[in-house]
Amino acid sequence: MASIAIPHPASPAPRKAWSSWQTWGVIMLTPYILVFLVFVLYPVSYGLWLARHQQSYVTLFDDPVFFRTVVNTIVFLLVAVNLKFILALFLSGFFVHERAWIRGLSVIFIIPWAVPAIPTIFSIRFMLNPEWGIINSVIFRLTGLDGPNWLNNPTLGLTMAGVVHIWKALPFWTLILIAGRLAIPREQYEAASVDGATGWQKFKYVTWPSIRTLYLTSTILSMIWTLGDFNSVYLLTGGGPADLTHVLATLGIRYIRLDQVDQAMATIVVALPFVLPLVYFMMKRLSADE
Amino acid sequence: MAAVSFRDIRKSFGKTPVLHGISLDIANGEFMVLVGPSGCGKSTLLRMLAGLEDITGGSIAIEERVVNDVDSKDRDIAMVFQSYALYPHMTVRENMGFSLKLRKEKQALIDQRVAAAARILNLEPFLERQPRQLSGGQRQRVAMGRAIVRDPKVFLFDEPLSNLDAKLRVAMRAEIKALHQRLKTTTVYVTHDQVEAMTMADRIAVMHDGRIEQLGEPLELYDRPANLFVAQFIGSPAMNVFDGVFQGNSVQALGARWPTSARAAEGQRVKYGIRPEHLEPASSGAEGKIAAEVVVVEPMGAETELLVKIGETPLTVMTRGRSNAGPGERIFLAPQASHAHLFDAAGGQRL
Amino acid sequence: MNKFAREAKLWLIAIPILLWTLLPIYHIFLFSISSKDSAFSGALWPDHPTLRNFGTVFRQEHFYLHHFWEQIWNSLWIAVATGLLTLAVATCAAFAISRLKVKGGRAVMNAALFTYFIPAAFLAVPMYKAMGSYGLLNSRWSLVLAMVTLASPYAIWVLKQASDKLPWELDEAARIDGATPLQLFRLVYLPLMMPSLVAIGTYALLLAWNEYLYAFLLLSHENTIPLAVGLGHFLASDDSPWELLMATALIYALPPAAIYYAFRRYMVGGLTAGAVKT
Repeated sequence: MASIAIPHPASPAPRKAWSSWQTWGVIMLTPYILVFLVFVLYPVSYGLWLARHQQSYVTLFDDPVFFRTVVNTIVFLLVAVNLKFILALFLSGFFVHERAWIRGLSVIFIIPWAVPAIPTIFSIRFMLNPEWGIINSVIFRLTGLDGPNWLNNPTLGLTMAGVVHIWKALPFWTLILIAGRLAIPREQYEAASVDGATGWQKFKYVTWPSIRTLYLTSTILSMIWTLGDFNSVYLLTGGGPADLTHVLATLGIRYIRLDQVDQAMATIVVALPFVLPLVYFMMKRLSADE
Repeated sequence: MAAVSFRDIRKSFGKTPVLHGISLDIANGEFMVLVGPSGCGKSTLLRMLAGLEDITGGSIAIEERVVNDVDSKDRDIAMVFQSYALYPHMTVRENMGFSLKLRKEKQALIDQRVAAAARILNLEPFLERQPRQLSGGQRQRVAMGRAIVRDPKVFLFDEPLSNLDAKLRVAMRAEIKALHQRLKTTTVYVTHDQVEAMTMADRIAVMHDGRIEQLGEPLELYDRPANLFVAQFIGSPAMNVFDGVFQGNSVQALGARWPTSARAAEGQRVKYGIRPEHLEPASSGAEGKIAAEVVVVEPMGAETELLVKIGETPLTVMTRGRSNAGPGERIFLAPQASHAHLFDAAGGQRL
Repeated sequence: MNKFAREAKLWLIAIPILLWTLLPIYHIFLFSISSKDSAFSGALWPDHPTLRNFGTVFRQEHFYLHHFWEQIWNSLWIAVATGLLTLAVATCAAFAISRLKVKGGRAVMNAALFTYFIPAAFLAVPMYKAMGSYGLLNSRWSLVLAMVTLASPYAIWVLKQASDKLPWELDEAARIDGATPLQLFRLVYLPLMMPSLVAIGTYALLLAWNEYLYAFLLLSHENTIPLAVGLGHFLASDDSPWELLMATALIYALPPAAIYYAFRRYMVGGLTAGAVKT
């Protein structure tokens, strides 16, 4: 029964089978596209349009608060984020130990991330109160000396904002690094043990090469997000004293509260040359994996 | 009347062509197996028949109706997937009745059809279970049950036994074949396993590089392979093939004269092919015997496989019963002339 | 002995972690059960623990608490609306991109990812301006829509990752069985995605409940603001009733913590898996 060379009639019917799936795809994608157009694309374009005046930038650069803010932001990003990640790297090594009580502790350890920012930051704020706060009262009881005026000193205030940021965000990044460490096959450690590796050598030759990329990606992502961390500074110091602890996130909002929206947008536009490369790097990383 | 016919089917993924004009007619009630190594295009061809892949060129007809632009659900086919593709959140009963439910059939009819299929496949005790509570073989049967319930014109199987262990595979092979003999539904079955193809098919299409190398009944392919590819693909262990020159009524190769009843031009360069079971050990006194050195002995009980070499060329020999030869020993082989195959040395076509 | 030293080392790490984590939390609790005098004395445990602060809060018996129940209701309304809307928008988008392979899906995914990476406080400024021009300022919807905008990129990303893991053959089987795209979505996709949907719904809900910046930018009417903004108002004066603030804050923090721990099984697996790919 060899195939007979009578061709089937050409079929003129349109390819409606596939197109109905495509049509539904477009319909189901539309809600998000609308959200994006209306609440991201339009606002951002409008904002950039507002930031078009050269005068905004002149005023901005003349504002002494702005220069201080840029320095604060850079210090906050470099110090707080890196300190947070070194701690997270260390703690993730602690939490991968298989003990029932460590598992219990890890549940408690997550609390700062699981609860909203305001209550805990306010709590820390009062703890740092120079007259009635629990910190200074403990210092007094132990040493008989008055503790520092934590939030009225710009350097201490910004440091404490960094501490608040670390307190709040550390659990999340530790969790990420724990996941990274748990993904390393146990055989690699067993092989290293058989080869006589010490704890430090195991970290250097097994753990670190496996989680290096994750560590780097997470650090960059965290830097982008920390740039937008409004709460840690605003709820703790409010930008004070004398507007000396502002970061870019709080400065932009400060201008809005002063009804200077052009100025607020200019602040953000100034930061874009630093943010966009990081965003581009992250986009590359995430879509390269697909 | 052909149940399924392919006419000059072409398929490209982007610029890469994977099917180069396949034409094939499958008769009503026939069990057709598409077999070939991975990447030969057999699954693509099946998926085009199922309506899961676009057709680049040519046409496909089911019972004389061109279905190129017909949606899968309107082609009246049912398919069993390699991974079974059972809906994990539905019970066996719901899985099997899903297609009828989508067609808005009456519940009484759905129940009746599911019950009938479950009886055929011995799935009655499992109807209320979920797929993850079933063994691999049971899941396989549910996948078939889902196909049966629809009472389609054509069953499509895409490597349905690949995920089962060896023992279960043999059992399911027989079950699928028995099912086909009972239902007599036209079946297109894709596999890379030539044993499955040989044991189950009414006819086999051997595919390679997007073309059908040979189409025929299992033993026809075994006895008269059309070319070197089919000769070496069909049969296990594989056919021995080596280069030689046709002289007189035999082939001069590996320093010996190999008898054949096939004919070629005097002095023509040929490939000489002989299956392991047609290369029996002979006594030292036999006529036309060929000496070989034993390398490995693999006793399998009913038969014994010997790996031997002549010079540096390895050959496989299959003998019934036991063999008392040991590694390193010299034995003598007697090729059966009537079962020797000759292929053109350049094109690989059968002579 | 060696084993003992190793365990001791672990405990030495554990104790600072415990203190560090719990101190601010304990401090909230301490204040909420203290009288004002006791709270301001720096004591580590009040002489006379009391639940009176909670009574004051529930009966709205303070200037800052006059709208307590209304604010809780606003918080709840905004969180639930955000959760549901985000789920609807993100699930449809993830299904269209991952399962229907809609043309342009990749571009939309990239746009969403881009939004995800904009620092939230940066988007707040133009968002505030745009909400103003839409006339939505001071409507609870403005905050809901802003939160949906912030939550859906990550939601789509995580749901897409999860849907990509569903076997493609299920869709093909459903198509052969005769399912339309909507039937595939309703009868096969949604039931199989349930764990991820729970995680994402919870994520968006908590994000909205916890949000402060957008809430205080977009809403200022005292009967539209959520509790988060109401808490911020406590700091308007220098002699704030901190013991009442902390009692209210505790009430505000408990639901999200409870929800987080209730769904932790889904959250940790569902959210961290997609959070950062290696």
